[in-house]
Parts: sequence; structure tokens; C-alpha cells
Amino acid sequence: MHRYRFVLFRPLHFLPVLFGISVITFVLVRLIPGDPARVILGTRATPTAIANIRAQYGLDEPLWTQYFFFIRNLANGEMGRSILYKIDVLKLIATRIEPTLALVAASVLLSILIALPLATIAARNQGGLPDQIVRVVSTLGIGFPPFWLALILIIVFSVRLDLFPVSGYGETLPEKLAHLALPALTVALSLSAVLTRSLRAAMIEALASDVATAARARGMPEGVVFWRHVVPNSLVPTINLLAVNIGWLIGGTVVVESVFAIPGMGQLLVRAIFSRDYMVVQGVAMAFACATVLVNLIADILTVALDPRVKL
Amino acid sequence: MTAATLSVRDLTVRARLDDGPRTLIDRVSLDLAPGEILGLVGESGSGKSLLCRALIRLLPSPRLAIEGGSILLDGRDLVTAREADLRAVRGRRIGMIFQNPTSHLDPVMRIGDQIAEGLRFHEGLSARAARTAATEILAQVGFPDPPRQYDAYAHEFSGGMRQRAMIGVALSCGPGILIADEPTTALDVTIQSQILRLLTEIRDRRGLAIILISHDLGVVAQTCDRIAVMHDGRIVEQGDKRALLASPRHAYTRALIASHPTVGDAAASPPAPRLARAPALLEVRDLTVTFPAGGGFLGRSTRRFTAVNGVNLRVQPGESVGIVGESGSGKSTLARAILGLAPIASGHVFFGGAELGKGPDALARLRRDAAMVFQDPYGSLNPRMTIGDTLAEVLLVQGMAAADIPARVRDLLDLVALDRAFATRKPRSLSGGQCQRAGIARALAVDPQLIIADECVAALDVTIQAQIIDLFRDLKARMNLTLLFIAHDLAIVRNLCDRVVVMNRGEIVEEGPCHAVFERPQHPYTAALIAAIPDIDPDKPGPSAAPDPLPATKELRS
Amino acid sequence: MSALAPTARTPSWSRMIGRTPALAGGLGLFGLFVLAALAAPLIAPFDPILQNTDARLVGPSLAHPFGTDNFGRDILSRVIWGTRIDLQIALIGVIFPFLLGTAVGTIAGFFGGIVDTVLMRLIDVILAFPFLVLMLAIIAILGPGLTSFFIAMALVGWVSYARLVRAQILVLKTQDFAVAAASLGFGRARIMFRHLLPNALAGSLVFAMSDAVLVLLTGAAISYLGLGVQPPLAEWGVMVSEGQAFLTTAWWITLFPGLAIVTLAFSFSLMGDGLANLLGVRE
Repeated sequence: MHRYRFVLFRPLHFLPVLFGISVITFVLVRLIPGDPARVILGTRATPTAIANIRAQYGLDEPLWTQYFFFIRNLANGEMGRSILYKIDVLKLIATRIEPTLALVAASVLLSILIALPLATIAARNQGGLPDQIVRVVSTLGIGFPPFWLALILIIVFSVRLDLFPVSGYGETLPEKLAHLALPALTVALSLSAVLTRSLRAAMIEALASDVATAARARGMPEGVVFWRHVVPNSLVPTINLLAVNIGWLIGGTVVVESVFAIPGMGQLLVRAIFSRDYMVVQGVAMAFACATVLVNLIADILTVALDPRVKL
Repeated sequence: MTAATLSVRDLTVRARLDDGPRTLIDRVSLDLAPGEILGLVGESGSGKSLLCRALIRLLPSPRLAIEGGSILLDGRDLVTAREADLRAVRGRRIGMIFQNPTSHLDPVMRIGDQIAEGLRFHEGLSARAARTAATEILAQVGFPDPPRQYDAYAHEFSGGMRQRAMIGVALSCGPGILIADEPTTALDVTIQSQILRLLTEIRDRRGLAIILISHDLGVVAQTCDRIAVMHDGRIVEQGDKRALLASPRHAYTRALIASHPTVGDAAASPPAPRLARAPALLEVRDLTVTFPAGGGFLGRSTRRFTAVNGVNLRVQPGESVGIVGESGSGKSTLARAILGLAPIASGHVFFGGAELGKGPDALARLRRDAAMVFQDPYGSLNPRMTIGDTLAEVLLVQGMAAADIPARVRDLLDLVALDRAFATRKPRSLSGGQCQRAGIARALAVDPQLIIADECVAALDVTIQAQIIDLFRDLKARMNLTLLFIAHDLAIVRNLCDRVVVMNRGEIVEEGPCHAVFERPQHPYTAALIAAIPDIDPDKPGPSAAPDPLPATKELRS
Repeated sequence: MSALAPTARTPSWSRMIGRTPALAGGLGLFGLFVLAALAAPLIAPFDPILQNTDARLVGPSLAHPFGTDNFGRDILSRVIWGTRIDLQIALIGVIFPFLLGTAVGTIAGFFGGIVDTVLMRLIDVILAFPFLVLMLAIIAILGPGLTSFFIAMALVGWVSYARLVRAQILVLKTQDFAVAAASLGFGRARIMFRHLLPNALAGSLVFAMSDAVLVLLTGAAISYLGLGVQPPLAEWGVMVSEGQAFLTTAWWITLFPGLAIVTLAFSFSLMGDGLANLLGVRE
């Protein structure tokens, strides 16, 4: 299957971006005013610790050498120690991946479950009442701040109806699912507003396309036109739409993790900013950026799998 | 298969618009007998495509509705039929072929599956039986390797093969009637003749009836038995093709026939020997233009595609030279390279004796003395500027005093016969022909010696085409212009130019005075090109005489 | 040959707005917010910061239509005064990225070559970071506050505009009217500013409207997290975060500032839809 040979080479394509990501995260910390050793270790560091860090990071060397040290340490699986948690940032992040990943996955799934039927109903009744409602609601929904929406959902589902816990993550799987319900719904509602609008537009275009007209002209009923022609032609735009919105999605989870006190990477980032734990800020930013690159790679692969015209 | 008769009576389609209803199809009546090919001719906006959509009740907008008349298919009225019954008619009794196969074929579904889809749905065939039947149809419409090509996608084929696939889809359920909406308009003339021949063969073999919609009287004259002429939603005249073409009764039909350019029309271009020894205004020597051809590692491409290959050309002042060729022949690239708008890989371009690329003087002179007219009348004008501003800007850049500009703008509009009131209008509120006049006025604004026109009438209706050609002829005589006229339509070049250059795959295959080349083509490609043009006279040897390059090979993609 | 005369007239601006209800509605709603911001001292019934121990956590009533918070501050007055800050967030947060991004995109698209390659690589890298994460990282360095937010916004927000405008310029550059301009000897600056940029701007203007929604939500979110506008200033995101502690007892502290954000965002969305319709831009 030489069409998929690109999977081997595509990561090379992302090398410049990964290089850029490492430069930006490296520079971010160096931009902080004051002695970088103190920035890394915090204000209460001992002189010996400062001397050690100077050697390990090459802080007395020119900037490009420091960057080299940074990459070398990364290759060894070390990014620097968190002031707050006293362990290496990469290890710290590893413990926080699961809740964030679960939240993102649940949100994407939920938002597709919300957006797909809404967009379908709207597009197939273009101009009708259901379409008008979907259009107004999705346009309104784009303006819902996730942190506020989260609180409103808490009032309704936790305080009044007592269905879901207010905050935290839990230990067992059922506990975790219960704790994820409201946060995932919050992110999903925000995302599905964007998704519904774009999907509706894409479907209306596909329903009016020449491909659909040709199918109708050979006597295919609307159901066949929709499922065999409109949907397959809308899949690739949808996947690319999700890939483009991955940044928006992660932004949403950062805020929502803070609202619901979910011990994920987003909450870690916000707490690190308050406690000036710069190594953690650096690490989380880098991890999120790499995740985005990975999502784009997956989207590329799916695009090639679903659209015979695309060659990479 | 069932032989079918279609009988349309007083069919009326109206649009409900914001500012009241408008009649788009006005009491149209026509009959179609089994085995007959009916040509439906008209210009854009005449309602010919809409009429065909109305026949299978597939109107393109919910604002349109059939508001009167009947469509009798074997005695049953489709206007009052239920939607479910209509679905049994579409595809099964009446097949449809569209102008643009690229957009009408599903890009993500295999070609064979699109043919099999109708068989499975209408005929209830099993997957295996449908595949066998679809493979057979692929063979019938001229696919050389049907079992393998069944699994290919539309983008893997050339335009001509895509149209064959589209015809295969329409034929899949054995309809008695085929409606072909401008099936060859997007294709090169040699491919056009192949597709038309395929349609005629299918008619002969299956005895089905065809409605062939076309803007090209030549296509209709060569292919059809009867002709119906549409204008403003009405059929103004219909009848046997020979009778209709020989003695048209309606004024519009006469105008249409008069506007049709003919290759055989020798009177239009007297030879111009007086130019023989003048120094060349434009000279092209060994010109080669290449473009990067996609692919390559990390976006850097190493392969290059040669669009123009070692072309030599001399154009003398006052001469009209036509450059003809099919899509991909490099004729447009040549024009752009002459104007310094495409990168020259090797070779030389001299304008007025000075070589381009050698110092700024030659380029400045070229910009002052040469101008271009483009194919797309709308795309060639800045959509956010009025016609007046567009013209004034050219004059301003040329260094004309601001006070003199308005008068000159009015002169230019007069020159191209556009009302002066158009100066305050933007392109989108103009018709295609009006826009093209504005584009010509802009070219004239620099007071050029040389005008390069790139397919400048290809997007226009035939009557508008004739007007623009008349305008060029008039301007040429009045202003002693030199004209480099690029077109795929040989007849237009025959009517307007003194000399013709034939290009194929980036090279000039033949050149000479128009009358000589068109009457006694030396190169087989030129001969094939000329033979492929459908003549308006049904009894002249038409496309069938054209030597047939194997349809099996992948044609050059546009 | 007789001269061809024009038939229809080009419609006027006021008529075009009238025919685009989304734009009219959006402009009207947005106008109300601008009015509220300008006339805040006149129309707000109470001082937005002054505490009143006698009227703590009062529910919506005639005296306090939106209720009061735990310091006895009138929520309606705080929402009205908040308009000033949140409008600033949306407008300033859009204008600088818009200008910077349009300039960069035009330059990259028009000149191409190495300039374009370098700028596009930079844009790819910045876009690899989730928007909010990069914003937070920059604010972490600069320290919390509205100024930091605007700086971070300018540093991060331009990339979308640059990409959009560059793509438009690349398409426009190959269109016949641009080729015509070049063939007539027009200067590069004239082609860029008179022919390409005006046609490319329509798209980025429409995008600016949906971007205003994003900027407003981001500004409010960062303030909610405590990294943007600082209390006791009345900003809608800050107010929501202050209400969180009283969610079960005094829901009105949280509800109304959030509704204000939704409404202002809606006005931007409507204006964007209307503009897209009017200018014939496809999103």
C-alpha cells in the first residue's frame, strides 16, 4: 500500500515544527527577568543547588549552548524539577495525562453526538423551523464562556438535581465517569456550537452539490443520496474541522479542569503559573503543542484513508 | 429496455422571487420519438438546461415550480406523478448526462460502484451481478480495461473518460430516453467528436431517444435529427434540422445561424501580403517555459513540466496572428511569457527590436505598447473598482494629467461601444459581454501597438462572441493594431486573423496564412483538429471523418 | 454598433444593511453595549465598587434588578460598568492582531520566497500551541493583568489573520485582474494596496468578528482564572469567579455577568454573519 508510505515520512515533515516548539518553550523561560537559576529553582534555593543547576543547564554558556543542554536533557528524559512537586516535570506530566486525555476524548465524542444530528436535521430542512432554531442556538452557543457554562450546569445538575458530583476526579472507573460527565458536557457544548455551524454549512453545500443532483437524477431517494454521497463527502471536512479546533478544545479543557478541580494538565498549568513553577509551565506548554502535532498527523492519515484524491 | 415517447405540452416553470414571480419556461411543447436525437439550442439563460431538469421534476431550487402543462411519458403525466413514481422514472426511464463530469461524479466513490448503484437500487441486482453488469457497461462506453477500471476513482481519468463514465452511469438501467446537457462543452474539440460519436452509436445500438442540449449549432447540426431553438424560456422554432438550418423562420434563429463562425468561410479573411518585408514588432526565438511539477521531498520539487518548448514566432506590425491549440497546448503560457508574466527558462523575446530581460527599457516599452485581454470577463476586472476607476488608473499610471483623464475615459467607452454611464458601475452589475468590452477598453487605454487576447470570447454566448469579434475587426482597421489572438476555436481565428499558428504540447506544429492552413493542413494534428470541428452544414463531412486518436489512452489532462 | 446602456443601479449602503437582518441586529445590539459603556456613570443606579453591608446577597428585586453580591454591591451597576472593560478586551484584543496579521500575511503572500517560508514556519509553530495555553504561558512570564493580556494577544493572535490574508493574496495574485495590472506596468505597491489588499480584507474583516468572540471569551476566562483583570474592578469574568463561592445561595451573582458575555458575543457573531453575507465571503 504505497499510498500510506507517507506515514513513515510524515513525522519528518513535522520536524521543523517540533524544533520550533522546543525553541519557543526554551526561550519562554529565558525571557523571565532575573537569574535563570533562581527562576528554575525558586527563590529559596540553596547556593549549592544553584551551582549544580548552572552546570546542568550550562547557564554560564552562550544561549545556543544552553539550548543544546536543554535538548540533551530532554533526550535523557529530564526537563527540570518542579519547585512545588519536587519531581521532574516530565514525570509529573505523565501522572496528569490520563484525566486530560479522558476529558478530551469524552468531549470530542459527546460533541460529535450533539453536532452531527443537529447539523443533519438543520441541513435537510434548510430554511425551515428546525434549521432556524439550530442556527440561532449554535450562534448563541459559540459565545458561551466555558467557565460560566460549567457553573450553570453545576447549579442545574449537581445542586438542583443532585445527579453528578461538583468537583474532583475519583479513583474507580464509575467514579471517574461520573466526575467527567459535567466537565465533558461543558467542553462538548462549546465545541459542538462551532462544529454544528460548520457541519451544517458543509452539508448544505454537499446536498446542493452536483454529485447529489446526479444521484437524484438517477432516481436515488433522499436517504441514499444523503448516506451514500453527502456523508462520505462530508467526512474529510469534518475531520479537518476537528483537527483545526483541537487548540480551542484544549483551551476549553484547561479552564474546565480548573472549574471542576480535575487533576489534569490544564489545572497543573494554571496552578504552576500562580506558584511561579516555570519548569512546569514550560513542560505543559510543550506537551500540549506536541499533542496538537500528533492530532494533525492522525488527521492527515484519516484524510488519506477517506479521500482517494489526496496523496501525501 | 423500453422504447419511449415523450410528449411535452405547454410546460410552464415559474420562479417565486422577492420582487414577484417570473416565468422561466413559457408554455414549451415538444415531442420525442423513439430513436430520435433532438437538439435543443439556445444561449445561456434561455432556459434549456432548466427545461431538461423540469422534465424529470428535479428543479434546482425550491423557489421554482412547474405551474402548468404536462409531461407525458408513454401516456402517463409526470407533472402529477407521485415522488416515488418519479424515482422509478429517473435513471430507469430517463437518464441524465451533465456538462461537467468532474463535479457530477462522486469523487470518493469508485467509478464502477456509481454505475452499479442504480442497478442495485432499481433492478435489485446482487452486488456480484451488479458488478458484472457495470463492467459490461464500462466496456460499452469505451473503457479499455473495465475489470480493473471499475475500481478506479474519477480523478484518475481525463475529462473525456470521465464523460464516458457519466454516460455509463446514465445508461446503467437501460433508459429509453437520454438527456445530455452540454455533454461536450468542457472538452477539447477532438474529444468532443469522440463523445458525440459514442452518443450516436449508443442510439443506433439501443434505439433510445436523446435530447442533446448545446449552445453550439455545429454540434447539433452534425449529431441530431431535429432541432428546437430556445430563447427567453420559449421554443421559438423547431423542426427537421436541414429545413430549419436552410430556411429559419424566426429572427432569433437567423441571428444564431449568422453568428456561428465557420471554418470554411473564406471570404472573411483576405490574405495580407503587403506586410511581407516589414521589421517584426514581436519576435520570439527558441522560447522555453517550464514550471515545477509538484512532488519532491519536503515540498522542494526537482521535476519540471515544460509548458512551452522551443517556440519561434515573428509578428509584424498590423498583422493579426491566431494561436490555436487544445487545452494544455501551451498557448496561454506563451502569451504570458511574451508579456513577461511567466518565467522564461531559455530563449529570447524581442519587442520593437529590444530584447526583454536585457535592461529595463524593453520592459517599459512593452508595458506601454502591449496590453492583454483575458478569458474570464469578470475575473479580469477588479471587483471592487468601478469601470471608470479601472480605466482612469491605467491612464494615471501612464502619466496622463489628471484633468485629461475623464475625457479620455469617455473616449475609451465610446470606442468599445459602451454607454458612458457604465463608468460608475462595478463589474458584477454588468453582463459578460459588457465586462469584456470594458476589458478591451482597458487594454486600449495604453494606446497599444500590440494586443494579446487570450481566449477572450470563450466564455461568451455565440451572438455576443460575434459582436466582440466585430469590435476587434473594427478596432484593428481603425487603429492599426497588431493582434495576437489565442483561441481553441479555430473558426473564430479563421474569421479574424491573417495568419495562424497551431500548437500542440508546447510546440508549434504548423503555421501559415489562415486560408492555406485551413484549406490544406500539412500536419496531421492540424488536420485532425480541423476535421473535428462540427460544421453547421449537416451534409458536410463532420467529426466522423476525424482520425481517431485511441480513446483508450489517457488523454492529456487540462 | 449602438452603445449599450446600463439597466440596474448599484444599491446603496443603507439599503444593503436593511436587507441583511443579521447585520442590522448585530449592529443594534453592539450599539447598546457601546452606549452602556459610554453612559455608565449616568445609567448605573449604584457605584460598582462601593460596598454596602446593609444589602448583602440580596436577590433580584426592584431596587436591585440583578441582586447584590456578598459585599452588597449592585450586580446591575457592576455589569454596566463591566461593559467598559469587556468592550476594551474585545476591541483592543482584536485590533492589534488584525493589523499585525494582515500586514504580515500581505507581505508573505505578495513577496513569497524566503520571507514567506520563514514567516509560514513561524506561524506553523505558533499554531501548534493551543491558543489559550500559549496565552497563559506568556502571561505567566509577564505577570497577571490586562496589559499582559493585550501583549500576549498581539503576540499570539496575529497568526490566524496572517494565514488567512496570505492565502487570499496567493489566490488573488493569480487572478486575471492582478495579472492585468502587472501587464499594464503598475507598480508593486499599487497592485498590492489598490488591487490585492482591498479584496483580501473582506475575509479578514469577517474573521475579525468571530475572532472578537474568541478574544472576549479568552479575556474573560483569563480574568476568571485570576490572571487578567484584578478585583475589585468590575469585569464580567471576575464577577463570575466571585459568584462561584455563592453558587448554591446567590446564583444571580454568577448568572448575569455570564449573560452579558453571551449577549455581547452574540452581537459580534451576528455582525460577522451579516458582513459575510454582504461581502459575499464564505467562512
